[in-house]
Amino acid sequence: MVDFVQNCFDGVMLGSSYALLAIGFTLIFGVMRRLNLSYGPSIMLGAFVGTLVFLEFRAGGLAVAAATVLGAVLVGIYVERLCFWAIRQGAAVASMVSSFAIWMQLEEIVTIAFPDRTYPFPPLTRAQPMDFGPFFFKVENLVMFGCAVALTLGLHLLLYRTRFGLRLRAVAESPDAARYMGINIAAVTFLAFACASAIGGVAGYLIVAQDGQITPLFGLWATFKGLIAMMLGGMGSIPGAILGGLLLGIVEAQSIWYLGTEFRDLCAYALLFLFLVFRPGGLFGHALAERERLALRRV
Amino acid sequence: MDDHLVGVLSNIGMISFIALSAYLLLIVGEISFGQQAFFAISAYASGIATAMWGWDFWPGLAWGTAVAAAAAVLVGIPTLRIRGLYFSIATLAFAEMVRLVFEVFKYQVEIDGEMVGPDGSDGFRDIRYIFENDITAVEYMLMIYGLLAAVLCAFFLLERSRLGSIFRMIGQDPVLAEMQGIDVTAYKILALGLAGLVAGIGGGLYAHLTTFVEPKIFNVMLGVHSLAYGLIGGLGTAFGPLIGVAIDIGFLESIRAISGYRMIAFGGLVAVLLIFRPRGLLDEAAVNWIRLRLRRRHA
Repeated sequence: MVDFVQNCFDGVMLGSSYALLAIGFTLIFGVMRRLNLSYGPSIMLGAFVGTLVFLEFRAGGLAVAAATVLGAVLVGIYVERLCFWAIRQGAAVASMVSSFAIWMQLEEIVTIAFPDRTYPFPPLTRAQPMDFGPFFFKVENLVMFGCAVALTLGLHLLLYRTRFGLRLRAVAESPDAARYMGINIAAVTFLAFACASAIGGVAGYLIVAQDGQITPLFGLWATFKGLIAMMLGGMGSIPGAILGGLLLGIVEAQSIWYLGTEFRDLCAYALLFLFLVFRPGGLFGHALAERERLALRRV
Repeated sequence: MDDHLVGVLSNIGMISFIALSAYLLLIVGEISFGQQAFFAISAYASGIATAMWGWDFWPGLAWGTAVAAAAAVLVGIPTLRIRGLYFSIATLAFAEMVRLVFEVFKYQVEIDGEMVGPDGSDGFRDIRYIFENDITAVEYMLMIYGLLAAVLCAFFLLERSRLGSIFRMIGQDPVLAEMQGIDVTAYKILALGLAGLVAGIGGGLYAHLTTFVEPKIFNVMLGVHSLAYGLIGGLGTAFGPLIGVAIDIGFLESIRAISGYRMIAFGGLVAVLLIFRPRGLLDEAAVNWIRLRLRRRHA
């Protein structure tokens, strides 16, 4: 029982990094109704910019974090222009495939520019794990969990308390109606994309700093974990992204403990598959309602 | 012929099968990131049949293909009720599950004092049928192209048949097709089964050519490539995916000077093509134009 509870705590800590990744993912999907599969690789590229700053200038944590976020945002803008802005409205699938193609491109650029497999990354803290009775926690994980909560609150304020948030929600609700109201859709989606990339940059920095190293494989990992967490929670839902991330983390932590490490990803994909088949809308989504709305629009 | 050329041509032939399999699903309007799963299932099943059960090559290939097609139908039944992005992600999850199952799949028998069979992440060695039976590389290449020609003939017959028109109709507008009394889900399951069959032929051929398969070859990049081939070459004709394969493997991978930058060029090419020609070089309009020109010349 103690094991099970400790696994749940570990899962929540692991899951908060997935939740962070899923928030950026779901923001893009919520506004554009399109999937950006290059999300992870653009964060990975940002983290390599961070590592470059770290290695070249021996920069401290804050400068590395800033470089990571900046890199992720710049690459995110490149992806947005090429895969989303340039492809006409409605061609959601074309955008998805295009972002996958750009993913391969980004990964290749990194493997050519950084020929060694792994690079060091400055760790977040050197503090010891903390004990609470029979349970223990890592400090980095607590920081990550706190950041996930803070980012969610910040995003909530941005979406529901500012004019930009209002515009963003209008575009998400109905692009056509938003256009009639004089909202510049391209500008709003561009800014939303930049926001999501910045959130991704923060998430990437925290995760990579916790690992203490970065490899080009991080892009694939980040896209898949973020994607699974988002789909579990329901695409486009921010509370869903948090809960989905935590659920994924707990399932992974339990499967590592009870089945072994090699079953970790298998269980994650099996969970995703089952959700897609039985509850495609996720915990908070409305897949069926959306399909009906689209069918009605056609009539 | 020199060995390098035979190798490249054999590769183009085998990858063409999986590209055609993704193309068939594109015609019915679904994007699958998971065709590599059926390729992998057949590679393992036919390898087990010839190397461990002592079957001949052709029954072994037929068995692998049949297993792949059956797996495709079984996956199609739950997943094809969900559509669009959700289906794409479900195929992705399924394919990764298959790969991860092969990572832990162990099944070995002793043959001539040696252990033969799939050994988890170490892969499946010694599928030696074509070497033990003195089939030369050129002969095997001719076998590949013979089968490819047969599959292409089947595709052209399909395009002229009622089934082909139903597939195209579902791809253009599933709601309209449903109103015409077509059972869209059943036809999509049929399409996925056929696609699994085509990918299965390629997988069986692949296992016997390389004599060694390991789970990590069948990662998601293989699936995305096979999808991209159809989107580059064009969705108007079955020649489209073959053109895509020829551009990627025949041109980018085989010319050594640019092969290091292959992904950068290929990824960029796909992204740019999706902007200007969202249905590929030889799309339906282009094919109709060519057909008209040919007809006029004959008249």
